[in-house]
Amino acid sequence: MAEVRAIDRPKSKWRKETLSEIDYKATYGKYRIRGCASPRQFPHFDDLMIMPSQLTRMPIDTYREDCETRTVLGGRFATKPLVLETPIMIAGMSYGALSKEAKIALAKATSMVGAVISNGEGGILPEELANSYRQSIQMLPSRMGFTKRSLEVADMIEVLYGIGAKPGLSGHLMGAKITADIAAMRQIPIGIDLHSHPRTGDAFGADDMVVKMQQLREITNWETPIFCKIAAGRVRDDVKIAIKIGFDGIILDGCQGGTGAAPVMASDHLGIPTMPALVQAVRTMEEMGVKDEMSLIISGGISDGSELAKALAIGADAVAIGTSAMVAMGCRVCMDCQAGKCAFGIGTQDPELRARLDIDKAAERVANYIKGMTAEAILLAKAAGKTKLKNLEREDLRALTLEACAMTGIPLVGSDFVIGEGFGFTASNKI
Amino acid sequence: MGYIDVSKLGDANLNSAIREKLAEAPVVTLTKVNAMHNVCAGLSGDGEVIIDDSTGLYTGSFLEGLTVRVKGSVGWYAGDDMMSGELIVEKNTGCNVGSYICGGNIVIYGNTGSRVGYGMKGGNIIVCGDAGRWGGIMAMGGNLIVLGKIGEATGESMYLGKIFTRDPEAESKMGGNVFLDAIEADEVDALTELFEQYGIDADAKAFKVIRPMKTGRHAYQLFKPQLEPEKAKKYQVKG
Repeated sequence: MAEVRAIDRPKSKWRKETLSEIDYKATYGKYRIRGCASPRQFPHFDDLMIMPSQLTRMPIDTYREDCETRTVLGGRFATKPLVLETPIMIAGMSYGALSKEAKIALAKATSMVGAVISNGEGGILPEELANSYRQSIQMLPSRMGFTKRSLEVADMIEVLYGIGAKPGLSGHLMGAKITADIAAMRQIPIGIDLHSHPRTGDAFGADDMVVKMQQLREITNWETPIFCKIAAGRVRDDVKIAIKIGFDGIILDGCQGGTGAAPVMASDHLGIPTMPALVQAVRTMEEMGVKDEMSLIISGGISDGSELAKALAIGADAVAIGTSAMVAMGCRVCMDCQAGKCAFGIGTQDPELRARLDIDKAAERVANYIKGMTAEAILLAKAAGKTKLKNLEREDLRALTLEACAMTGIPLVGSDFVIGEGFGFTASNKI
Repeated sequence: MGYIDVSKLGDANLNSAIREKLAEAPVVTLTKVNAMHNVCAGLSGDGEVIIDDSTGLYTGSFLEGLTVRVKGSVGWYAGDDMMSGELIVEKNTGCNVGSYICGGNIVIYGNTGSRVGYGMKGGNIIVCGDAGRWGGIMAMGGNLIVLGKIGEATGESMYLGKIFTRDPEAESKMGGNVFLDAIEADEVDALTELFEQYGIDADAKAFKVIRPMKTGRHAYQLFKPQLEPEKAKKYQVKG
C-alpha cells in the first residue's frame, strides 16, 4: 500500500518572514534597520464610520456650497499663531533622509496649497525655507544644524521628544547618506553611521523644561508658536506634562509613523497606534480644560481625506503626513530607505538617482494629493452637514468593531452602546 | 555704568530691562539676582553685564556678542546654544553648561558638573577646576579645555571637536569612540592665547587632546555577554 502523508496546517508561527529574521540575526548577531513604517496591521481610522446628515440635519451641497478649511494653530500663548489653508502639515523628514530635490518639492507643494512643512533633523535647507509656505523648525536633542538663526526664521517651533517610528530612540541616518554637504550641515564626519542624541542636553525633565519654555518665549518674543512633538506611548501623562510646560500645541505621532531608518524592533513594538493615541490626548486636554486653546496635530499613517476627517472629528486640529507625501512624489514604499539607493530620487543622496526626481512635477503631485485629500475630507464633512471642516465632531462617528469602540469610546455601529472609557458618550446607551 | 536691582523686577521684565540699560551704558551690573533663571538669555549686541550674585538655570543662553560675567556660581545649562560673546563664571557651575554652543567663550574659574559641552558645535569652554562625567559627550565641534580632573566617559561618541586635558588618568576616563593624542603646535598656540586672554596660569604644552575616532564608524555596545563563570557563581546561591 502506498504511504499516505497527512498535510500539516500552514506554519502559523514559523512563517518564512520569521525564519528570515532568525537567519539575519544568526548571521550578523545584531538587529535589523529598516525604512518606512511598521508593516504590522494596527487599529486605524478605517474602523470608524462617519454619520451622514439625513432627517436629523441638513447636508451641505457638495458642489455648490463652501466648507471652510482655514486652520489656526498654536495660539495658546504665541501672539502670531500659524494660519494654514488646509489642516495639513508635511511632517519632519530631514535633508539627509530625503534628497535636496525631495525637500524642495515638498516645500513648493506647501506653497501651492497653504500648508506647513517641518524641516526635520539636521538643520534647515535654505532652498526649503525659500520655497515653503509656512516653515516649522524642529529643536531636536541633537541640535544638528540648529542655531539661534533657526528660531528667527521659524513660523512654528517643534521641540522634539520622539517620533512614532522609533520612540525612545535617537535619529538614525546611515553612512550611505552622509555626503559632504550633509556632513557639513550637521557637523559630523562624512560617511559615519549617525545615531544622534536620544535626549535633550538642555532640559532634563519637565521641571527644567518649564524654565526652558520661558527662555524660548523670551527669545521668540512670545510670537512664534511652540509645539512639542511626542511619540504616542503614555499619552495621558505626556500630554498633561506638555500642558504644564506651556506648549502652544502638541504633535502626536502614532506608531504607524514612518522614518528613514529605524530598528525593526522599534517600529514594530514601541508605542501605541495613532487612533487610540489621539482619543487619549483629546480626552486629557479636555480634562485639563485646554482643548479649545491648545492645538493638536496627529500623525502616523494618515493617507487620505477620510482619515483627516475622522481625526478632526475626534478632536485633532490638523494632521501631519510623511510617507503618503513621499508616495505622491513616486515612492513605492520598498522600505529600504536606510540603504540610500532610492530609485525614485527621494530617499537618496546619490547624484544620479537624485536627478531622476523632477522637482516641479513632484511638487505638483504632492500639491494635487493634498488638494485631493482635503477635498475628500470636505466631501465627508459636507455630507455630515458641516460648513467648516473643524466642525466635525465625535458625535458624527460610529465604531465598526468592538475593538475600535472600546479604544475610542465611540458607540458601536447599529447601537448606541459604548464599551470602555467614556469619550463624551455614556455607557448607559443614551447619547 | 548702569545698575539693576533684580529683586524689584519680575522674571519676564529682567532681560528687557537689561537691554534698555545697555542702550544707555556699556556696562550694566545686576544685584540681588537671587538665583533667577534665564538671566541674559537671548541677549545680543555689545556691552558687558556683570552679575554680582549667583544665578539659576540657562544663564547667558543663546547669548550673542555680549560679555556676561557672573561673580558667583551658575545653575545648569548656562550658555546653552550660545552663538558668540563671553560667559565668565567666577565660581562653580551646575551640569550641562555650554550645551550645544555654536561659538563664543565660556570660562569657568571653579568646577563644573557633568556633561559640560554636551553636543557642543563650536566655541571654547575652559574649566579651571574639575569637570564631572561625560564632558563633551557627542560634541560636534569646538574646544573643551579642562585644567583639573575630568570625569568618567569624557568625550563619549564625539563626532568632531577636541577636549584638552592634563589629567594624568585621562586615558582610563575616556568614553567610547575617542582616543588620546599629543597636542599639536597650533593647538598649543591657541590654548596659550586663550589662557593669556583670561589670566589663567597654565602651560598649554602640558595638555593632551581627546579626539574623535577617525574610522568613520562608531562602535556601539548593543550586548556584550560578561563571560565570568567564577563571578557568576554568587547568583547561584538561593536566598
